[in-house]
Amino acid sequence: MSIRSKTVPLAAGLIALSVSLAGAQTQSRPGLRIPLQKDSVRFAVIGDSGTGEKEQYQIAKQMEAYRQAMNFDFVIMLGDNIYGEHEPRDFAKKFEVPYKPLLDAGVKFYASLGNHDDPKLEASYKPFNMNGERYYTFKKGDVQFFALDSNYMDAKQLSWLEQNLKSSKARWKICFFHHPLYNDGKMHGPDLDLRNQLSPLLKLYGVNVVFSGHEHAYERLKPVDNIYYFVQGDSGKLVHHDFRRSDLMEKSFDRDRTFMIVEVAGENLSFQTISAGGDTVDTGTLPRPAASVKAAAATK
Amino acid sequence: MPAVVMLVVGLGLSLAQAPAPGSVDAKLISEFKERVNQYLQLREKVAGSAPSSTDVPEKLAESRNEFSNKIRAARGSAKQGEIFRPEVAQYFQREISATLNGRYGNDIRATLRHAEPVKMKVQINQSYPENVPLQSTPPTLLLNLPELPKSLEYRILGRDLVLRDSDANIVVDYVPNALPGSKQ
Repeated sequence: MSIRSKTVPLAAGLIALSVSLAGAQTQSRPGLRIPLQKDSVRFAVIGDSGTGEKEQYQIAKQMEAYRQAMNFDFVIMLGDNIYGEHEPRDFAKKFEVPYKPLLDAGVKFYASLGNHDDPKLEASYKPFNMNGERYYTFKKGDVQFFALDSNYMDAKQLSWLEQNLKSSKARWKICFFHHPLYNDGKMHGPDLDLRNQLSPLLKLYGVNVVFSGHEHAYERLKPVDNIYYFVQGDSGKLVHHDFRRSDLMEKSFDRDRTFMIVEVAGENLSFQTISAGGDTVDTGTLPRPAASVKAAAATK
Repeated sequence: MPAVVMLVVGLGLSLAQAPAPGSVDAKLISEFKERVNQYLQLREKVAGSAPSSTDVPEKLAESRNEFSNKIRAARGSAKQGEIFRPEVAQYFQREISATLNGRYGNDIRATLRHAEPVKMKVQINQSYPENVPLQSTPPTLLLNLPELPKSLEYRILGRDLVLRDSDANIVVDYVPNALPGSKQ
């Protein structure tokens, strides 16, 4: 499985813009490292975002700049969408105001629940697109997304997930939820009990990518059971010097807040992780794992 | 065993064997579920259906407060142990202890330690404070406790097991010291 990845400061990103990528439309937009294939699925990823503090607004500003560059039309939220109080002013300060340019442009937000979220209030808040449910699925092109509630992974949710993964005909299956199954953070670390119950399903039914938050930093891990794991829990909160090195760690970053932009096109997923300061801290293109192809075929 | 659980069992995940029909434990579970249903019937009677979705945060707060205040008023005299009667509470303590001493016990303890544990005094009918995180409930523990209707959930607060109405954000009942203290 080949993974192309490197840390690219903004200046290098600008230089790289002149590089023509085979089969891709080259875009002359600042810092963009995503191929921008025709008919691709494009989205952004934020986690642990809802502080209402100036750093959240800085990330939101960067997101809008990249939306204009790559035209992503939805955002997945990895939980802790609204920290603290959940009064109407909090929904404004911690969501509606910072992301107003995105919302005004028609970008949809799909939320999952973190431990700082109010499950009922947020699931009932229409701009989070949860349709009143704590876990749900939606499809965009060749990609099916599964938003899970990792705060409360009971038998009902596990059964729902199994049934929906099993019946999915999507080429890519992406799960997102708050608590990471794998990560090298010192603050929380992986949720071992969640991993015990959830990872057999993800493996059996050919999930390709998992995005989680909770740990207030960014980490990309080496594939486990042919699943790519990302931790993106620093779009609002940040804990510096949060990592201990491990064999699973592919890339980590804990010096600034970040968000991700992602493009899925055919058999490839391209990603770029961008800091509040505008630097690209990680980027790459991941092929759909072969084992996932087999697992997906087995479920049909 | 309900059909919904069968698929999960098929994967070999950790799920306690259901008590034999007619056994003491089966009767305790049945009694617990009956009391849970009585709570939901009362809720429906005094407050109607749970608030629906909206894109207006003011309406969210308003309808949640109205909904929960009606429930609080209707069960103003409710006391700890009305749903978790002493024998039922003991059943839960036994199940939790067995789960923590089972195959995934160490992982459950690690999950509890890493999940921003919350310690606060619990009171019946109290709202769970919005500025306090809701600690995640370990999945293996959930798989070993009686299943709840959609709007109710088990939450852990310190060593207590709380029955929370997530629609109304109300503490319905709780089991004090449900989790053993020595290894937590």
